[in-house]
Amino acid sequence: MRPKKRVFSTLLSMVLLASIALTGCSGGSGVKKEEAASGGDPGEKTKIVVWIWEDAKNVIDLNMPAFKEKYPNIDVDLHVLAQADVYQNFLIAASSSDKVPDIVNLESHRLSQMIETGGLLDISDKVAPYKEKMNAYKWADAMKDGKAYAMPWDSGPVVMFYRNDLFKQAGLPYEPKDVAEQLKTWEDYKRFAKQLKEKTGVAIMADSKTKTDGTIFQQMLWQHDMWFFGKDGSVQVDNPEFIKIGQYFVDMMNAGYANEVQPWSDAWYSSFQQNKQATIVGASWYDGLLPSLIDPNGAGKWSVAPMPKWSEDDKYSSAIDGGSNLAINKNSKHPEEAWKFIEFMLGNDASQLKMMEGGLFPSLETTYQDPVFQEKVPYFNDQPVRTLYVDAVKNATPITYTKDYPLANELIRNAFAEIFLDKKSVEEVFKKTADQLRQKTGRK
Amino acid sequence: MQNLYWKWQFKSAPYWFIAPFVICFIIFVFLPFTYSVYLSFNEWHGQETKTFVGLANYVTLLKSGDFWQSIVNSVLIFVLYVPVMLALALIFAACLSATWMKWTGFFRTVFFIPNITSVVAISFVFLLIFNADQGILNQILMSLGLLDEPIRFLETPWWARVSVAILVIFRWTGYNMILLLGGIQGISKSLYEAAKVDGANGIQSFWHITLPLMRRLLAFCTILSTLGTFSLFTEPFILTGGGPNMATTTPVVLIYNESFKNLNMGYASTISIFFFILMMILSLVQLRLFRERD
Repeated sequence: MRPKKRVFSTLLSMVLLASIALTGCSGGSGVKKEEAASGGDPGEKTKIVVWIWEDAKNVIDLNMPAFKEKYPNIDVDLHVLAQADVYQNFLIAASSSDKVPDIVNLESHRLSQMIETGGLLDISDKVAPYKEKMNAYKWADAMKDGKAYAMPWDSGPVVMFYRNDLFKQAGLPYEPKDVAEQLKTWEDYKRFAKQLKEKTGVAIMADSKTKTDGTIFQQMLWQHDMWFFGKDGSVQVDNPEFIKIGQYFVDMMNAGYANEVQPWSDAWYSSFQQNKQATIVGASWYDGLLPSLIDPNGAGKWSVAPMPKWSEDDKYSSAIDGGSNLAINKNSKHPEEAWKFIEFMLGNDASQLKMMEGGLFPSLETTYQDPVFQEKVPYFNDQPVRTLYVDAVKNATPITYTKDYPLANELIRNAFAEIFLDKKSVEEVFKKTADQLRQKTGRK
Repeated sequence: MQNLYWKWQFKSAPYWFIAPFVICFIIFVFLPFTYSVYLSFNEWHGQETKTFVGLANYVTLLKSGDFWQSIVNSVLIFVLYVPVMLALALIFAACLSATWMKWTGFFRTVFFIPNITSVVAISFVFLLIFNADQGILNQILMSLGLLDEPIRFLETPWWARVSVAILVIFRWTGYNMILLLGGIQGISKSLYEAAKVDGANGIQSFWHITLPLMRRLLAFCTILSTLGTFSLFTEPFILTGGGPNMATTTPVVLIYNESFKNLNMGYASTISIFFFILMMILSLVQLRLFRERD
């Protein structure tokens, strides 16, 4: 009797130990999988999980009451993650064939890279009706081998936000109409920068020599129909035109026309309220950021004009920066429900217009006819600024970020740091960077 | 029968006790490690199929300047902080074990707190301190008249490395101090008393008694710091993002960039395996030196 009891208690403690070891360590994913599996029965409520970042969730929330009314049987779990975590966690989820999340939010500049991993569902048939209705350029990054893997959400047409009060102080034209007429090219921009600096001491832009995020430079490239990679996929970093644009950026920085501060750092945010720079050449989503995070007390001081062009004969007058998309996980148990959610949020005018109030400019072109686009915006001195975004998006160059963009961006930022730190020539460093990029991507 | 069973139980008991650790170790360390070895021979960008490429990744690695740059960066950061940190730790430890010292418990806690505070939180605070135009460090240096122009701490390679080194000193001095404190307290009081009788002052006895007897422990701290420096991640990642121009990219930051930014999982695994081998050799060499000194 006694030995038996011992055997039993030993076994029991073994099981306990094992279960502690196993649940203690891997409990997280086990629970998740059960949850996902139990929601699949027909007739029952279905729960879909969306991985999304904070600002994007905030505008989705504006549409949630209407969505719940239309689809009472779909529960949506909007799971907020830091932007970088969305990509990292989804990579892990995709490579382990996890069923969660059902939907993932992806920025255009990382979309091709994520499609390449094969974790996204082919939704070519579902998006077919929207092919013509969305900004054409958005599809370039959402497609691979003729199949579509994501639904475009918002676009980031680039314009120039400028401080009319500082322009006025410097004796420069400050009415949007006059600025648009007299500041047409990047050469004009440099001329304005000089006068601003001489008369008021204010810089025209903000960027860092060694820690630039590359945005201004890339917008200039994009507008001029240049990119890291040509239409044939070859590396363009040592193209003479590419080098010229790099030289322009270097000249602006060396001339002291920029307030030296790392973009998106705390110091960058506060520099706007300290009147340290007079323009942001940036995407339409600054429309939402300016009154909220960047310059809440700046109402009436900011105006909008089209972005400067590289050359007056350029075919396209604007560029794109950012914008995101929604995609479905290939292993999702509820692709139909997931698509219903995506279609409701991104495919209909009412939801898209609502999200525009939150600062995201729709990629859905059918919305542009809406009178809200003609409305005067109080923050921008009653200027009907949204018409400028529409013009910009219609005249933006169709360029594909490609899957190698994150790497190219990193290398070009290092290249600028090297140019400024070691006082090397743009040509020399860009040629070296081009070779690195070729070697690392296997491109021509 | 009963005896045999008891014997079995007696013999097997230790294994049951270590089982939880071993199981966790296999699942979370050994299997991932083996998988990394496998990945290092493949080209894999996160998609379903991996392509076997043999030693190609290793060839790329040996040719690539990035990896060696990251090793050089680590060595530079190591040189910048280890001597300062160990000197500080030793001085603090000596002070805390001195007989005239009051509030020793309080100071011990104060010095150790940075080590147990979240490194992310500390990094963000240092980000504000090191800011070129508004950071408190530049403000202080400039109002003292030591500087005419603000130092761009996080934007020039050398100052970025110094900034990372300062952050590491802040975090790890207390930890090393506690280790050294244990050593100092283990030194027999009679040695100091004898020195005092012979007319030695405090500094002399520190120099001729404490320091020589602490050599072993200092060597141990140096080994720990070596491994720590090469695997630095959070501090440079948050403070400088590995920049400017890769000046603070340590091997682990490089692995992170290659895997999660560029999705070169195979190549990233190669870096980590190679890095592992390098670290193992370094540790063995250090242990050997350590033993000889013994």
